[in-house]
Amino acid sequence: MTTATTTQTSSRGADRRASRRAGRRAGGQHGPRRIGSHLFLLLAAVYFIVPLWWLVVGSTKTNSGLFVGSGGALWFNDEFALWDNVKELFTYQGGIYWTWMRNSFVYALAGGVGSTVLAVLAGYALAKYRFRGRNLYFSLLLGSVMVPLTALTIPTFVLLSQLGMINTMWAVVLPSLLSPIGVYLVRVYAVDAIPDEMLDAGRVDGAGELRLFSRVALPLLRPAFVTVLLLTTVATWNNFFLPLAVLRDPQLLPVTVGLNQWQGLSNAGAGGEQVWNLITTGALVSILPLIVAFLGLQKYWQGGLSLGSIK
Amino acid sequence: MTSADRPTDRRPAGPGEQRGPSLLDTKRQWWGWLFLAPFTVVFVLFLLVPLAYAFWLSLHTKGIATGGESIFTGFANYARVFTDTDFLSGMARVGKFVLVMVPIQIGLAVTIALVLDTLATRLSRASRLLVFVPYAIPAVIGALMWGFLYSPRFGPATDVFGLVGLDAPDFLSRDLIFGSLVNIVTWQWVGYYMIIVYAALRAIDPTVYEAARLDGAGNWAIALRIKVPMIASSMVMIVVFALIGTLQFFTEPTVLRSVAQGAIPTTYTPNMYAYSMAFSYSQFNYASTIAFALGILVFIGSYLFLYATRKQSGLK
Amino acid sequence: MRRSMRRGVAAAATGLVTLALAACAQGDSSGGGGGGGSAAATCTNTIQEPDATRVTMWAWYPAVEQMVDTFNSRHDDVQICWTNAGQGADEYGKFSTALEAGTGAPDVIQLESEILPTYTILDGLADLAPYGAGELEEQFPPGAWSDVSNGGSVHAIPVDGGPVGMLYRADIFDEHGVEPPTTWDEFAQAAQDLRDAGYDGYITNYATNGNAFNYALFAQAGWAPFDYDSSRPDEIGIDVDTPEARHVLSYWEDLVDRGLVSTDDASTADYNTSLVDGTYAVYIAAAWGPGYLEGLSDADSGAEWKAAPLPQWDPDDPVQVNQGGSALAVTSQATDEEAAATVAMELFDDEATWKVGVEEAGLFPLWNLALDADWFTDRRYPFFGGQQVNRDVFLDAAAQYPGFTFSPFQVYAYDRQTMALYDMVEGPATAEDALATLQDSLVRYAEQQGFTIR
Repeated sequence: MTTATTTQTSSRGADRRASRRAGRRAGGQHGPRRIGSHLFLLLAAVYFIVPLWWLVVGSTKTNSGLFVGSGGALWFNDEFALWDNVKELFTYQGGIYWTWMRNSFVYALAGGVGSTVLAVLAGYALAKYRFRGRNLYFSLLLGSVMVPLTALTIPTFVLLSQLGMINTMWAVVLPSLLSPIGVYLVRVYAVDAIPDEMLDAGRVDGAGELRLFSRVALPLLRPAFVTVLLLTTVATWNNFFLPLAVLRDPQLLPVTVGLNQWQGLSNAGAGGEQVWNLITTGALVSILPLIVAFLGLQKYWQGGLSLGSIK
Repeated sequence: MTSADRPTDRRPAGPGEQRGPSLLDTKRQWWGWLFLAPFTVVFVLFLLVPLAYAFWLSLHTKGIATGGESIFTGFANYARVFTDTDFLSGMARVGKFVLVMVPIQIGLAVTIALVLDTLATRLSRASRLLVFVPYAIPAVIGALMWGFLYSPRFGPATDVFGLVGLDAPDFLSRDLIFGSLVNIVTWQWVGYYMIIVYAALRAIDPTVYEAARLDGAGNWAIALRIKVPMIASSMVMIVVFALIGTLQFFTEPTVLRSVAQGAIPTTYTPNMYAYSMAFSYSQFNYASTIAFALGILVFIGSYLFLYATRKQSGLK
Repeated sequence: MRRSMRRGVAAAATGLVTLALAACAQGDSSGGGGGGGSAAATCTNTIQEPDATRVTMWAWYPAVEQMVDTFNSRHDDVQICWTNAGQGADEYGKFSTALEAGTGAPDVIQLESEILPTYTILDGLADLAPYGAGELEEQFPPGAWSDVSNGGSVHAIPVDGGPVGMLYRADIFDEHGVEPPTTWDEFAQAAQDLRDAGYDGYITNYATNGNAFNYALFAQAGWAPFDYDSSRPDEIGIDVDTPEARHVLSYWEDLVDRGLVSTDDASTADYNTSLVDGTYAVYIAAAWGPGYLEGLSDADSGAEWKAAPLPQWDPDDPVQVNQGGSALAVTSQATDEEAAATVAMELFDDEATWKVGVEEAGLFPLWNLALDADWFTDRRYPFFGGQQVNRDVFLDAAAQYPGFTFSPFQVYAYDRQTMALYDMVEGPATAEDALATLQDSLVRYAEQQGFTIR
């Protein structure tokens, strides 16, 4: 379930927004529904936040406190073990948790940046160059969006193993570079966002194609760049199926697979191996960077993810 | 689907084109391919080659008793997979998930987006963020958390139902596991779909509403008769992605399986079946067949849907 | 400008080369690749002799790091580099894919004996006989040795065993005035008596995913489902649906239907807690079981555990069974087979190591020198209120265990068993249906794998 997309692009969005804001202020909503609406939103917000609240509370508990605590499932116990748990993350299995976190960063960054760069180059080419086979290429690309990526994992695994790349970071990073949806988005965005006239004017002035790309196209493509970067980074960060299949060395795992492995060990029940407190604390710590990133980049994704999601 | 090219094709010939000599065009063709090259390498290596390889694997059979020798068996594996009750019941199950889960997700996402679109209060801004937050949480962690919440010991259900003197239902039992999974996926993805729909709504020119309001249309009428049709293309796209994702259902049931091995067998979804065939039983040929068969069905499914909604989506 | 263009072309060319490589690899379909198993491995333990031959090992024993340290300090020519690649099925999944990939397996691997045929048929394990393993036969109980060897070949060295006994909460039985059972008839009666006396838990739990556990219960009644010999790897006899199995399964079906036995999944946090908090009065467990509970034993401070022999079908002809336990095998990808064999044969060839294994990890040794040692036979277990459970229960059980033949597709067989049993306890299926379904699916799978069914 790692689908990621936005829909069609429109550069008209920006001017629209300005006029709409004016219109909205003039014709603002009245009436009794606002209370109902707010109540509905409040309920929705509670539903979406309860699991997180549980996680926050859970990570302050000791291992046995999770089972038989004084606070119940949704409130704090008398003892507050968050710092102890965090400290234990540094010592348990030699602090492997932080290795996992680092790996997740490496994978997400390499996969995210790499696939975005490829997507921007390819999307720009498909939008702004006319060459033989372009339409066929684009159809192929659109069709490939529908190929279940998880279905590719098994043959990819066999291929990578024949190339001797199983159980290396490459096995996760290289397949993550593939983002047909990213190409699709950039292409759709670039068609309107980069006026041909501008490119042609540059050519007349004697600018080379690379220079045109870096000086003219790239700045105009920034919103698409950020959006695709966000989508692919999140997709790589969340990836589970691929690393699960291609990695065996515990030192190479991303935090998602690592925590899942701890859960397996804890479920298996070995006395000293029950680390539920570390799983909850580890899960909390692991989701913080992405949540912080999303809060910090609100402007980008709220405008960005939409990227004019209307045609 | 080639209609996506329309904007460029329809574009009136710009001044550059009139001036552009054909010599430059051929040279520029190469630049196009050059920009495309890095992606193409990845595209070929990690999409086309694996696909071809999966297909090749699926045409061969390697039994564990036959000394590890791979034999060409043509379409025998496909004959097997389309009569394999495990695969078919898995397909039927994800079909049921599509029918239940996709409408719930889209319905909830659209409703929340519509409500948010009419409000500009602090609460509405905050809840927009809160609804979106689960998207930032990896599916594995999400499923892990819900696994805890469903547990009679870790979770709050026992306390909550105890308040009214009831026994908590067993969310991980055979009867409820389906709903429990629907809930996890809904929780995870509604925020993301909501943001897309919301952005589409914000892009509608509000003067449209003014006109409708002058004609005496209320909020509901505006929402249903004007807003929803205007964001149809966004909705078609998110349905397609929900559809593809659901047909490939894997992560959530796999994670939840560790606490419900009876209720979620290894054949629960086709993807799980393929995974266990490959990675638990070392049956890579048959696993590839399952994956390929699933891929074909996903492709047909999403193509049919896009075809049926070609008017709404603009992909005529 | 021109430089960057050249760079672009170079990149494209590299891409094409990789592409060609991939295409070649695709032609070579049979897998292969070979060797180099220990490449780039990182060790969880500290290596004491950096220049010695390094042997990578996957193992999940509790306290294994101490044992590895002991081994490494005793050997200056061989050093173990240990990682925990998951317990049981998790580890097997990784090992299987490593075999398919042709690389990535460790040199030495901890396996349960039930999984050995699965890997011998894939040529995944080295024969240890050339390294003198055959001479070790005398050091282990006969049942354990038969589980790891076949004719002249030795597939693994036994480490710990899982002789099964009945652990029970003496306080719960006392409180409700019920005698601990010694036969299965008494067990069913006790289940009812406890309930009638007001005990609101279950006498025990019947886990549909308790793979090896359910095999052990069947085996006690004389069930021998597989007829398989690794020297004739393409033939197998499958006889799952037997009168003995039907008898055992109907017995449990009846207790489940009467609500006297719960059917929670084993190996979950909930289940582990239920074991120690008084939800179940009896825990039918292998000898290593209590070791896994001690970490949780603070859940119920009033608990008073005792161990007794497994209830019998026929008290005049008692049958003992085994659940789990493990062995060390050398994989076919080992870089230095001889050094790896040294690790497999000598890691547990040491009393000090076994003291750690028994006292810290709660293991039950299969090494006669440890089994016969006073410190083991007379050991009083705090968890059982000081009872000498080895002398009372497990030593006999281990000595009388005759061995068991597993299938060469045991993971599949277990998964199917879980499905069939779950259908029985949750759905309308009966014990007969469950076993018939299981028999059918295993025979069909074996045929698809190219076995001749005997």
